Formats: sequence, structure tokens, C-alpha cells
Amino acid sequence: MDQSEKRLIKKIRKGDQQAFAELVERYKNSVFAICLRMVGNAQEAEDLSQEAFIRAYNHIDQYDHERKFSTWLFRIATNLSIDFLRRRKNVVSLDAVVPSTEGLSLNAMLPDEGEQPEDRIVRKETEEMVQGEIKKLPEKYRSAVVLKYIEDLSLKEISEIMEIPVGTVKTRIHRGREMLRKNMMAEGGGRA
Amino acid sequence: MSCASKKYVSLMNKVLDQEATEQEKQVLFEHLATCDECRVHFNELNDSTELLRRLTHPQLPAAFTKSVLDHLPPDKRNVIRKWGSRHPVLTTVAICALPMSLVVIGARRQTRDRSGYALVKVSGDQT
Ligand SMILES: [Zn+2]
Repeated sequence: MDQSEKRLIKKIRKGDQQAFAELVERYKNSVFAICLRMVGNAQEAEDLSQEAFIRAYNHIDQYDHERKFSTWLFRIATNLSIDFLRRRKNVVSLDAVVPSTEGLSLNAMLPDEGEQPEDRIVRKETEEMVQGEIKKLPEKYRSAVVLKYIEDLSLKEISEIMEIPVGTVKTRIHRGREMLRKNMMAEGGGRA
Repeated sequence: MSCASKKYVSLMNKVLDQEATEQEKQVLFEHLATCDECRVHFNELNDSTELLRRLTHPQLPAAFTKSVLDHLPPDKRNVIRKWGSRHPVLTTVAICALPMSLVVIGARRQTRDRSGYALVKVSGDQT
């Protein structure tokens, strides 16, 4: 971990909230991306991201400073997302009524200003299809796949975040990848 | 049409995980050149993950960080300092009251200690 981050964490441990704000700025979009792709809804993902940071602040004493801060933070975000999915499964199946990317506005998805309107629509459709496929993955494959392909993390980092052996991470990624392929080919009709 | 050997699937995984040796890559790509089924399978795996990689990474609004800070428990150092400067009289009273309250709390604790001791004694007698 870099030195500036170590200094920030020392300050946070003493209750310095401005130091914490710097860490939030640094990681907020990564945390949001994990939550968003795990739960498929921008509003829920924003709430979960906020909760992840509040938890990190309140439990900063439990953070082991020998490890990367992001590993610990992403673990909190992943676990909160999984808890959320389980809770939702127990309440009602929202999936039946709410489209997978509900709440994801066009603007939020499109940082590219030079893009043509037609391209935007195609991209939005593709993104919805892909998000829908991620959503079909069982949680344990989904988190491994999201950390790998959305956050571009190494197998070792994923194994530390999920607290499972690297071999298990690989198996989950292989199975998740195979499931994605089958479902996309069955439904996307080769749109890839 | 069906490829008899499953060994190519695990080779595909190795290559996609970027853990294959040059030799393993060569074995796979030589096979893909001659086996339609495996070639299609490999391309589909590649395309699927490529779609995930290309998903946009939306940015959270700037107000997000402030909203997180608003939800944190109050910063103790700031709270005491701010409160003290806003209520100088109350602060003085509070500081003077502190020794008094310690006496009261101390007295109460003693009472509780006594009853706690009594309980222990009773259970001790029973065994
Ligand atoms: Zn083959």
C-alpha cells in the first residue's frame, strides 16, 4: 500500500473525517461499479456503496494495515451486495417486475460525448443484455466474475477479497464464464 | 462434429486466465485451427468476457462523498471544541459538575456491588 494511504488511515483512526473523504473520493467509483454489477440497480448500488463506506469508517480498527485497503473495502462492498441479494430473494422476486438496469439513466452510463444517438441506444441495449446475463449467475460465481472483469483484479486479489483459495476463485470464474457464454449465445443470438 | 477431448476446455481456461505457457498456447491454437467446435467455443468465451469488460463504469455524483460524511458518527474532537465555543457558560457548569457526578456515580456503583456480591454468595452456598 502506498505511503499516502497509510498516512490517511492513521488520521482516520484518530477520527479525521476529512482524511476519510479523500479515501472515499479515491475508491467511490470502484465500489459503486462492484455494487452496481452485483445488484443491477443504480439506486440500490449507490445506497450500498454509501453503506460500505460508513461501515469501513466505523470498523477501521478491524482493518489490517499490512494488506491493501482496497481489498478490505471491496470485501465489505461485495458482502453487502450479497446480503442485499439474499434479503431481496427472501422478500419478493423483484426481478419479475423491474428491468435489470432500472435506475441506470442514459447519462450515467455514457461518458462519451461524441457518441451518436443511435449508438447510444445500441450500447444501452447491449449493456442491459449483459447486465441481465450477470444477474443470472449464482452469487458466488457472480462476485468472482464481477471482480475479475469489471474491476480487472488479479486472481490473488480476488481470493483475498472473497477469503477463498485461488483454486476456488478459478473454478468459480471458469463456471461463471461458461454460464455467461451459454446464456448469451442462447439469448443474444450472437449479438456479441 | 463433437470434439472428443475435454483437455482443450481446460487449456482454453488457462489461456483466458493468462496462465498458459507458450507451449500450451501453441497446442491450443493448433487445435483450434482444425476443430470448428472448439474454435467457436473459445471465441464465444472470449466475446462474452469482452462484453463484460466493455461495460461502462458510471461515475457517482460529486455529492456522494458529502452524503457519506453526513452519515458518519460525529467527529468527537470537533464536537467538543465546537460545543464548548458555542456554549461557554454551559461548558463551565459541565466542567464543575463533573466531579459531583463522579461522586454520585461512585455511590451508586457501590450499592450495585453490594447486591452483586450478595447474589454470588447465595449461589455459592447452594453448590
Ligand atoms: Zn476440439
